[in-house]
Amino acid sequence: MSTGMQRLTAAMKGETSDRIPVFCNLIDQGARELGISPRQYYADGAQVAQAQLRMREKYGHDNVWSLFYVGKEAELLGCSKIRFHAQGPPNVEEFVIKGYDDIDRLRVPDDLTAHPAFREELKCLAILKREVGGDYPICAYITSTMTLPALLMGMEKWMELLFIGPAERRDALLAKCHAFFVKEMTAYRDAGADVLVYSNPFGSTDTVPMRYFLEHSLPWIEKDIGAVGTAGIVYYCGTSRFNRVIDTVLERTGIGVYYLSPLDDVAEGKRIIAGRGLTCGVINDIGLIDWTREQIRNEVRRLIEAGMPGGKFLFGTGVMPCQIPEENIRTMLEAAYEFGSYRR
Amino acid sequence: MLESIIKAYNEAIFDTDRERALQVIHAALEQGVSPEDVVFKIVVPAIEQMVTSISENFDANLAQHFMTAQIAAEVTEEMLARFKSAPESVGRIIIGTAEGDLHSLGKRIVMGCLKAQMIEAVDLGVNVPAERFVDEAVARDAQVIGISAMMVHTARGEGGCRAVRRLLRERGLEKRIMIVVGGAPYRFDPELYRVVGADAWAENGIAAGRVIAGLIGEVRR
Repeated sequence: MSTGMQRLTAAMKGETSDRIPVFCNLIDQGARELGISPRQYYADGAQVAQAQLRMREKYGHDNVWSLFYVGKEAELLGCSKIRFHAQGPPNVEEFVIKGYDDIDRLRVPDDLTAHPAFREELKCLAILKREVGGDYPICAYITSTMTLPALLMGMEKWMELLFIGPAERRDALLAKCHAFFVKEMTAYRDAGADVLVYSNPFGSTDTVPMRYFLEHSLPWIEKDIGAVGTAGIVYYCGTSRFNRVIDTVLERTGIGVYYLSPLDDVAEGKRIIAGRGLTCGVINDIGLIDWTREQIRNEVRRLIEAGMPGGKFLFGTGVMPCQIPEENIRTMLEAAYEFGSYRR
Repeated sequence: MLESIIKAYNEAIFDTDRERALQVIHAALEQGVSPEDVVFKIVVPAIEQMVTSISENFDANLAQHFMTAQIAAEVTEEMLARFKSAPESVGRIIIGTAEGDLHSLGKRIVMGCLKAQMIEAVDLGVNVPAERFVDEAVARDAQVIGISAMMVHTARGEGGCRAVRRLLRERGLEKRIMIVVGGAPYRFDPELYRVVGADAWAENGIAAGRVIAGLIGEVRR
């Protein structure tokens, strides 16, 4: 039987293994797995690593995560108030940037790895690397320069600054976010992360018009990727669609992995990528909460049949909501292993 | 003349160009277009046009929604001061994000559009308890409660829309006050609004105006 890393490597090369790689992004489920509250759970990187390893064993999928919660990046930049919830992801409760003058005061840490908020993530990564490094891809989540301000000031205020605010403040903030992005990406690579999910809803034409994408988003994407290289980078726009920009991003940055939106047409995405990279077909995991066994199997089959022919395909989930019953997670994964098998 | 003004305004909105949109409006006023016509024949149809283009093509996006609402609110605010007589309110909505939810962008887009449509919106902010939604709706004689939720647990949780529905039922208010919901979880599960006890949902902030106007009409019928 192949390991997750062998499956991923084979898929990226256009070769076959026993089946397509299957990524299942179980993040907040870790607290439930260990029977503790999210606040307790995320306080200790060893617990996050333990839960990731335990869930991977339990379900058999091909990846583990070093991500705690997205707001962690805001903590590294000064946020001190995170709101925890038993049934959902932790959220930034108090924004670092409340007024434009706070942009001047925003300080990017010289050494991220020395930051207390990063210490537990490093602990988690070290354990994951020791236990499954080389066998199962270790994923890290890095917010792009263009999107990071949304975590620091809220999406509403960021849209306001971006479209109707003073350009010099916007540019100053983006420059600081870029500096942070480069340090964060470097720190994750150094700590052993293999799969670096570059999260950027502003890289989608669901968020900005194509013209704006070309004039503003793309130059920042090029700058981000130019600074850190493409190794391990996954282009991801949250749940926003991005088939329309794939060709441009591929040509201009060389990024080789595209983690589509559940709303994207997988077959179309694969046609656009045209063998130049890995296409990741993503299931609508909000649907997984209520779907029947038959609905789940049909949806998994539909996605895999659209993306698997010709290889270079991965089946994945979004950030799975806690409300999905365990039985439905198993049904989805078993269907993915079955329909994604090269030995059927 | 109005046709070319509408076209220029719509193009500016689609390009997310606030300055150009405001220039078009001010030039229209100088050419003799009334403030009332600016709102009802240029700004409101532009919102409708955006709703139509969302349903017909892919190139309508969050930035355009934001700017459409932002500019609509700004222009309407300016024009209202110049109206010959105060316009009649279409109705009133209490709006906020569900308990535990801190995402405010969708609510802002909805409110910008409602302003131009002469629907009064009372903003309760973010992380609003169910009791407050209902108490404020009663106190302000609102026909609709609008609950925005961007996360699955705030959309489906016991403290959000489900609790508002329960309170409306317990207090015998279900015929007087209707509930509309919106946010990402509803886009990924179009039947979710029924599950949580809402009367309707809006796919995006721009489309919400039409849905809310419809609910107000139902209550007033």
